[in-house]
Amino acid sequence: MGPLLVITLTLIAATVALLLVLVVRRLLLARGERRYAEVAERLLPVAIEFVAGDQSPPKGLSAYEQTVLAQQLRRYAQMLTGEATERITSYFRGSAALGAARRRLRSRLAWQRADAAFALGDMGVDEVTPELLRALDDRKRIVRTAAARALGRLQAEEATVPLVEAFVEHRVPRGVAGDALLRIGSKIAPQLRDLAGSPEIELQATALTLLGLVGDAGDSDVALERLQDPAADVRVAAAEALGRIGSPHAEPALHVALDDRMRFVRAAAASSLGTIGARNALPKLIEIARTDEFQPARAAAQAAVKLDLVAAQAAAEAPDAGPHLHEAVDRAAL
Amino acid sequence: MTDEQPVPREQPLVLCADDEDDILQLLVFRLGRSGYAVLQAHDGEEALEVALRERPDLAVLDVMMPKLDGYELTRRLRAEEATRRMPIILLTARAQDTDVDRGFDAGADDYIRKPFSPQELSRRVQAILGRR
Repeated sequence: MGPLLVITLTLIAATVALLLVLVVRRLLLARGERRYAEVAERLLPVAIEFVAGDQSPPKGLSAYEQTVLAQQLRRYAQMLTGEATERITSYFRGSAALGAARRRLRSRLAWQRADAAFALGDMGVDEVTPELLRALDDRKRIVRTAAARALGRLQAEEATVPLVEAFVEHRVPRGVAGDALLRIGSKIAPQLRDLAGSPEIELQATALTLLGLVGDAGDSDVALERLQDPAADVRVAAAEALGRIGSPHAEPALHVALDDRMRFVRAAAASSLGTIGARNALPKLIEIARTDEFQPARAAAQAAVKLDLVAAQAAAEAPDAGPHLHEAVDRAAL
Repeated sequence: MTDEQPVPREQPLVLCADDEDDILQLLVFRLGRSGYAVLQAHDGEEALEVALRERPDLAVLDVMMPKLDGYELTRRLRAEEATRRMPIILLTARAQDTDVDRGFDAGADDYIRKPFSPQELSRRVQAILGRR
């Protein structure tokens, strides 16, 4: 037999073997999918009875059935709140599924660690928070992202600073970290107040932005103080936070910020004055709308319209009104 | 569809429409457990057909459904004499204020954001039907 023939026959045999493996694998997967679908359909009423009713799952479920039920309960945990999620968490506390997920969080395979972190977030058992905090420093981004999501779902207050740092350093997608922090909610405010005094500009600015979203009137003092910061990014974040918090005590400081050397700080101050209803600032806002650079002029015009449409319309009719007042008045008429 | 007098029912009839079967079955269970007879629909067109035929006492509608979304379905139900007074609760993951406004502008009576509490939904249904 010539060598070419041997090679050809070897390749044919290898191809056939590979095809056989693929076919067998596909058949096994299909059988697994059918089995899963059958068990899931049978257990759906059990999951629903548990989540929305008062029936505990029956004892004596096989390990496979428990796995399927756990996945269904995790899915419901993503869709529901209130008593339903409390029941789901109580189910998972001390369960085999929780133990398995904690073990997989230590897997050598990144996808398994990420999957485990994701699952732990759905299970809602807060005793896993320390492990998820460690996972936030994982070498793989998908694991860190899943851990950030999970910490948000657990509303883990102790994750505030690590999540803000992960946000600032882009170690997880900012949307995921931001969403997690907002899910934790106003509990993060004390730690944000501390972070607002950090020597790192970006940490300060991020903390102030978040404080504007979750804080209340009691947090405006921190933002007022930071409105004097040497870093413009911090002053912008402080001005925006004051607008979101909505405290009228911020009016004098924001009025001063209308003369800031940086245009985007002036713009943020103008916008916030409009949001908090600072009518005393109207003449200055109209002046800025007429004469300042694009960004603060536009923000001031929009704020003026918000504060007093009639006065803004009158100002827009002046020959030297500039384009921004006209634009803001026209938009208000839509 | 003529505006005939509805046949008195032993139990209030609620229509639930959602393209996610897990959610739909949970709604059916929870509302059934609360003492309501429940109709199901898996998309907007089916929901419209069922509503016009059966004239339920209240509808719980998902917003993001295939064929006809919850907003348009609400508008169409409001345009029909047979269903224009039927209370409608929209259930959706769309959580912006503009989405809520859009729901009320379409004619919905209430708006529940997902993730939601089944118990709370049941209480809202009870509150609306209890007022009628």
